[in-house]
Amino acid sequence: MDESSGAVKARRLGLGFWLPMSWMILIVGVALLAPVLPLKDPTDYFIRPGERPPYPPSADHWFGTDQDARDMFSRIVSGARVSLAVGFMSVTMSFIVGGALGMVAGLVRGWFDRLASFLFLVLLSFPGLVLAILFIALIDRSILTISVTLAVVGIAPVGRLARATTLSFAEREFVIAARTLGARNSRILFRELLPNVVIPMAALALLGVAAAILAEGGLAFLGLSIEKGETWGKLIRNGAGSRVLRDSPWVAFGPITVMFLTLASINYIGDYLRDFFNVRETGLGR
Amino acid sequence: MTGRQAPLLSVRDLKVVFPTPIGMVHAVDGVSFDLEAGQSMGIVGESGSGKTVTAKTLMNLLPSYALVDGSVTFDGRDLRALSAERKSEKHLWGVEISMVFQDPMTSLNPVKKVGEQIAESLRYHLGQTRTAARRQAGDLLEQVGIPEPGRRLDEYPHQLSGGLRQRVVIAAALACEPRVLIADEPTTSLDVTVQKHILDLLDDLRAARGMAMILVTHDLGVVKGRTDEVMVMYAGRTMEEAPTEEIFSQQGHPYTEALIETIPKINSASHTRLVPIPGQPPVTTSPPAGCPFADRCRYTTDRCVTQGPPLTPLGDDHQVACHTPVGTPAAAAALAANAARGHTATGLEIHQSGLPVGAVVDGPGERA
Amino acid sequence: MAGRGTVQLRGGKDVILRVENLVQEFPVGRNRVVHAVSDVSFDLLKGETLGIVGESGCGKSTTARALVQLPPPTSGRVVLDPESEDEIDLTALSGNDLRDVRPRLQMIFQDPISSLNPRRRVKDIVSEGLEIWSDGDIGTEGRERVDEVLHAVGIDPAAAASHRPHQFSGGQCQRISIARALTVNPEILICDEPVSALDVSVQAKILNLLEDMKARYDLSLVFISHDLSVVRNVSDRVVVMYLGKLCEVGDADRLYEAPAHPYTRALLASAPEPAQSVGVGDAVLGDEIPSPTDPPSGCRFRTRCPLAIEKCATEEPQMQQLDGDHFVACHLPRV
Repeated sequence: MDESSGAVKARRLGLGFWLPMSWMILIVGVALLAPVLPLKDPTDYFIRPGERPPYPPSADHWFGTDQDARDMFSRIVSGARVSLAVGFMSVTMSFIVGGALGMVAGLVRGWFDRLASFLFLVLLSFPGLVLAILFIALIDRSILTISVTLAVVGIAPVGRLARATTLSFAEREFVIAARTLGARNSRILFRELLPNVVIPMAALALLGVAAAILAEGGLAFLGLSIEKGETWGKLIRNGAGSRVLRDSPWVAFGPITVMFLTLASINYIGDYLRDFFNVRETGLGR
Repeated sequence: MTGRQAPLLSVRDLKVVFPTPIGMVHAVDGVSFDLEAGQSMGIVGESGSGKTVTAKTLMNLLPSYALVDGSVTFDGRDLRALSAERKSEKHLWGVEISMVFQDPMTSLNPVKKVGEQIAESLRYHLGQTRTAARRQAGDLLEQVGIPEPGRRLDEYPHQLSGGLRQRVVIAAALACEPRVLIADEPTTSLDVTVQKHILDLLDDLRAARGMAMILVTHDLGVVKGRTDEVMVMYAGRTMEEAPTEEIFSQQGHPYTEALIETIPKINSASHTRLVPIPGQPPVTTSPPAGCPFADRCRYTTDRCVTQGPPLTPLGDDHQVACHTPVGTPAAAAALAANAARGHTATGLEIHQSGLPVGAVVDGPGERA
Repeated sequence: MAGRGTVQLRGGKDVILRVENLVQEFPVGRNRVVHAVSDVSFDLLKGETLGIVGESGCGKSTTARALVQLPPPTSGRVVLDPESEDEIDLTALSGNDLRDVRPRLQMIFQDPISSLNPRRRVKDIVSEGLEIWSDGDIGTEGRERVDEVLHAVGIDPAAAASHRPHQFSGGQCQRISIARALTVNPEILICDEPVSALDVSVQAKILNLLEDMKARYDLSLVFISHDLSVVRNVSDRVVVMYLGKLCEVGDADRLYEAPAHPYTRALLASAPEPAQSVGVGDAVLGDEIPSPTDPPSGCRFRTRCPLAIEKCATEEPQMQQLDGDHFVACHLPRV
C-alpha cells in the first residue's frame, strides 16, 4: 500500500474552514433554538418614556431598537429563521427537481435530453422577478410560496450543472465498465454517477443558499416578501429610509451585518470544500 | 564528459524541493552532469524520476515557490544567479537555451497563426522587423521539413497534423539559434511512424547547427543510436551517466540493468516471459538515507541501505551512483550472498538463480 | 490497404468469437461521417491472444468498443461460439437479452485511474459485477470469490475494503480493473491499451499478470496497443489496422519476421528499436495522414505508401492468403 495514502488522509480542514463554519453553527443554532432562548418578543414595543425610538445599541438591546422600539436583536433572530428557511427550502427543492432532470438527461440523452435542455433554456430566459410577482399575485405571500418561487428560478442553473457533470462522468471508463458488467441505467445513475455528481452540486448548493437568501432580500425590498413575520430583507428595508440611515444607522446595519457575515461564510465554506474535495479526489501530482 | 575545454553546461548536485500540502516533495535530489558544446545527451527516467523538473530548472520555468540548491553553470555563467535578476537576462532563455515540450497541442497558441508564433520570438529577442521575421519564419518552416511553408505561415495549429505541429514547435524553438536545445518527451504524444521522422529531424538540425541537445524521455529506445551520452535518473537522482553505447551493452547501475531487462523486445518471440522490477517507485516526500533503489535491487547490501552511494567513475566517461555496480566483483559477491541467504538487506526475496522472486515464480506478484 | 475480405477467418469448434464485416461510422457536423471502422473481419480462438495494432485513428479502440456493443456497430456481426448451436450474434440483441450475455466479454481500459469510480471503495468496485447479478447480496460465496480474485491479482483484500482508487498506484489500479473483470467469470477479456499509461517498470508486471490470469481463468484475450514490442510479446496472432481497415493478419512471430504489407513494414522500421526483419528504407512514409471523414479511394494507405501504383487508387485490395496463417490486403505485398 502506498505510503502516500496516509499522507492524503492527514490533510485536515483548517482555520479557513472552521471560522466561517463557527459563524454558521452559531447563526443556525440560534435560529433553531430561538423559541427556547430567553429572547425578547420581536413584536413587543419597548418604549422608554421621554426618549424617542430608535434607541441605539445598549446592554438592554444589543442591536438597539427600530423606529417602533422593537428589539433589533430578537427581530434579527426571527428574521434569520425565515431567511434561512427560505434559503434551504428553495435550494433543496430546486436541487431535487433540477438535479434529477439534469442527471437523467445527461445519462440517457436522446429526446429526454432535448426536452430537458429546452425547459432549462426557457426557465433561464424567463425573468425571475416577473415569475415571482406572478406567483405572489396568483397564490399568496407565504414562506412556502416564496420558497417555491425561488426554487423554480433555481432549477435551470442546477439542472444544467447536473447535466454537464453527468455528461463528463458518463464518458469515463468506469461507467462503460459498469455497463459491460451488466448494470442498468438506474444502477449506473445511483451507484456510479450520483456519488460523483453530488460533490460539485453540493458546492453549488451552498452558493445557491446564499443566492436564495439574497434574492429573498431583494424581493423584500420591493415589498414582495412574506406578509407575516420578519425576514432580513424586510428588516433592512425598514431601516433603509434616508433619515433613519443617517440618524440611526444601526437599524439597517444590524441585519445587514448579520446577513453579510452569513452569506460570506456560506460562500467561503462552499469554495473551501470544493477545493478540499478536488485535491483528495485527484490525489496530488502522480 | 572529459572536457578538454570547459563544458557548455554543467550541473552539480542539483536539488529541487516543492513545498506542498502533503509535505516537502524532493523532485530532484542530487543531479550532476556535463554537456559539451554540440553534444547530445539523453536524460532517461520514469515518471517521478525528476527528469522534467531538471529540464525546467535549466529553462528557468520553475514556479517561484520551488526551493533550488546546487549549481547550474552555462558558458561560465551561473544560471541560478541570473534567473533571480530577470531584467538583465531576458534574452538568454529562448535564445541561447531553448525548449521543445511534449504536447504540441498545448504548446502552441490555438488562436494565433503558426507563422506569427515563430515570428514573435524573432521580433522580441532579436529585434527583427515584421517582414524580416516573417521571411525567416518561412525559412524555418522549410528547414523543419514542412511542405509549402509559405502557405503554412498563415494557418492555425488545428489545421495541422500532430507531426506538423511538433515541427512548428521545433521551428519556434530554433528561431534564435540556441546553443542548447532541450526536448522534453518531444515525441511521446505522436504516432510511431511520425516519431521517427521527428527524432531524425532533431538529429539533422543538431548536426547542421552544431547545437547541443538534451533529450528527456522515459523511453530508452528513443535514445538508442541517437544521443552521445545518456543519464539515467531515479527518484530525483542521477543513477548513471555513460556513453549511449555503454548504457545498452555494459550497464553499470542495477536500475539500468533492470530497466533494460524488463522492456519487451520487438525481436523477441511471442510469449517471452518478462522480468518485472519488484516493488514500487519511491515516495518523493521522504527520500531515504541510503540508495533509493535499495528496496528493489537484487544486489542490495547493508551499506546500500544506510549510505547513499555517490557518483563514482566506472571507466572512461562512465559514472555510476552505486556501491555494487553491475559487472564488478563487489556486485557478484553481493548477489551471491543474497541468493544464498534468500533475500537482500531490505528483505527483497531472491531466488537461487539470482533473480528476484516474482520474476521466476508464476502467480501473483507482491501484495499492494 | 483496404482490408475487405474474410479469407482470414478460420473455421472449427475452437473459434470463440467471430467478427464479420464490422462497420462503425459516426456522424460529424452536418453531412460528414467518420469512417472509424470499415468492413473489418477477424476471429478469436479459445485460449488465444489476438493482438490488434495500429496508430492513432486506425479504429482499433473503436473496434474494441463495438465488440461490447458500446456503442453498437453501424453494421456487421459479432458472434459468440459461431460454430456451435448456441451461437449468439451480439448485434442482434438488445435490452435484457444483451445484458444477460454481457458478463462473457469484459474490458480493461487504458487509463487506470479513470477506469475506477473515484468515490467508491475498491472492494465495492470489484464486487460490483457479482452484486448486479445477485440482486444485492452476493453471499459468502460471492465475498470469497472477490477475495480470491483480489489475491490473484496481488491486491490485499483488507486494503481494498478500506481504500479508494486514488490511494493506489497506476499499476495497482490496473490490477483492480482486472480483478473487477474476472469476478463475473468472463470468457473473453478485451484489453484496450492496458499498459500504455503505465511506467515501464510496472508494465512487465501487468503483462505477466494478464498471462497468468489467462491461464488460471481460461480466458481468451483481445489485446489492443500501439506498442509493437508489447503486442508481439503477448499475442499469438496479430492484426494490423490502418484508417479503419485491416492491412495484415497472421501468426505473431510470422508477421514480425516476414511482414508483407508496406504499412506493417513501415511500423516495424519506425519503432525506436526497429525489427530485424525490415530495413531503414521501409520507414519512409509521407507525413500527411488522411482524414477519416474522407478516406482515400481504393487502398486507404496509398497516399503514404512508397509502392503505390495506379491500381491502388481504383481497386481496393482484398485479403489474400500468403501461406499458412498469414494474410495480407495489398496489391504489392512483399513475399
